[in-house]
Amino acid sequence: MEATPLRIVLAKVGLDGHDRGIKVVARALRDAGMHVIYAGLWLTPEAVVRTVADEDADWLGLSLLSGAHMTLVPRVLELLRQAKLEHVKVLVGGIVPEADIPKLLEMGVARVFGPGTPLDEIVSFVRQTAAAPRQ
Amino acid sequence: MIANMPALDDLVARFRQGDRQALARLLSLAGRGAALPDLGTVRARGKVVAFTGSGGVGKSTLVGKMIAHLRGQGLKVAVLACDPQSPVSGGALLGDRFRMGDKADEGVFIRSLAALPGHGAIADHLAPMVRLLQAFGFDVVLIETAGSGQSDVGARDLADVLVLLLQPESGDELQWEKAGVLEVADVIVIHKADLPGAEQTAAQVRAILDLSGQRSIPLVKVSAKSGQGVEELWRAIEAVARAAAPEVRVADLAQAAQQLLADRVTSAWKTHDPALVQIVRRWQQGELSLRDAARAVLTLVTDTAESSQ
Repeated sequence: MEATPLRIVLAKVGLDGHDRGIKVVARALRDAGMHVIYAGLWLTPEAVVRTVADEDADWLGLSLLSGAHMTLVPRVLELLRQAKLEHVKVLVGGIVPEADIPKLLEMGVARVFGPGTPLDEIVSFVRQTAAAPRQ
Repeated sequence: MIANMPALDDLVARFRQGDRQALARLLSLAGRGAALPDLGTVRARGKVVAFTGSGGVGKSTLVGKMIAHLRGQGLKVAVLACDPQSPVSGGALLGDRFRMGDKADEGVFIRSLAALPGHGAIADHLAPMVRLLQAFGFDVVLIETAGSGQSDVGARDLADVLVLLLQPESGDELQWEKAGVLEVADVIVIHKADLPGAEQTAAQVRAILDLSGQRSIPLVKVSAKSGQGVEELWRAIEAVARAAAPEVRVADLAQAAQQLLADRVTSAWKTHDPALVQIVRRWQQGELSLRDAARAVLTLVTDTAESSQ
């Protein structure tokens, strides 16, 4: 067990009710010893960023299966910057077309995980990135 | 630790200016048992109300309704929501705020916390976190336990008012005869009062309470679903707080001092305070008796606390 477990907020933004995937990821991160704050469905970008701030989380996982990722993800990133929360690492999961992935990474998303990603891959990415020294 | 001191001073300064993110950081530090400077007396001390009851009884949902009710009265509300931490992996799924109607509202602050197994269904170091929230200016601090079985009464020492949630169909009459959390609750809620059987459960619990005759505990039927009883519940909570206020509880004071002392010793140990290491070594080598070592530790942490102010 880790002395200070990593805190990660998992949330769905916008009008998107598909929460099976995010719940499976929540379970995997939990079983990896992390503290997962499940913020749930239908959140506004403002509510997501408020949650990250109040929970003092180091990570944010956004799940989108609605196709609105190119609108909502930049909005969340912008609000994080405005709130001086640039240190928070953002993961995106769900249905994201190949062509959009490089754009999201360029905007500052740490990683995009599509359908079929092995859970171990997500867990080890979070662990390795968290262990790496901050720039 | 010493290297972090300027950062801590900066956080405290920002906290005093009402910076919400400084509050968030300080809460994390307090939650890990870090020694924080005294943030001064809390002028208008906010009420602390704890909600407990078995898992699935509707604590988070009811807390969500209370938040809405209290915001309607213009009160600022902070919530410390505890969920269980895995004894196996150390991980936790903290899902309470999802049920509290999460919005970006300046007057609401929710922090999700993990409660270790066997720690009374509440997270460690909750007392300093409550003080931080009060000092920041929240009028009400709501604590949600990770869900008590029958004897998890840890939240009682922290809260002005302990609310116990029960629901219909949660056991036969003998269940209410058992000792435990029913004895220490200040207000009892028969939750999910929209369900059939609520009236019967209320009658059973009332009969048991009348029989014991110790004190009259208010019993409120509430349905978070319909909103029935939420206002009445807050009135019952307020009445309890008023009744308890004038009492000087020396035992509580002693306990708080004890906790403060334990926190300071632990954090000194964590930061490898050389004076403390020295005392421990002398005690282990038999130079000091346990009592003398304890006295030395007491002097040490009290001096440290005074010099840091």
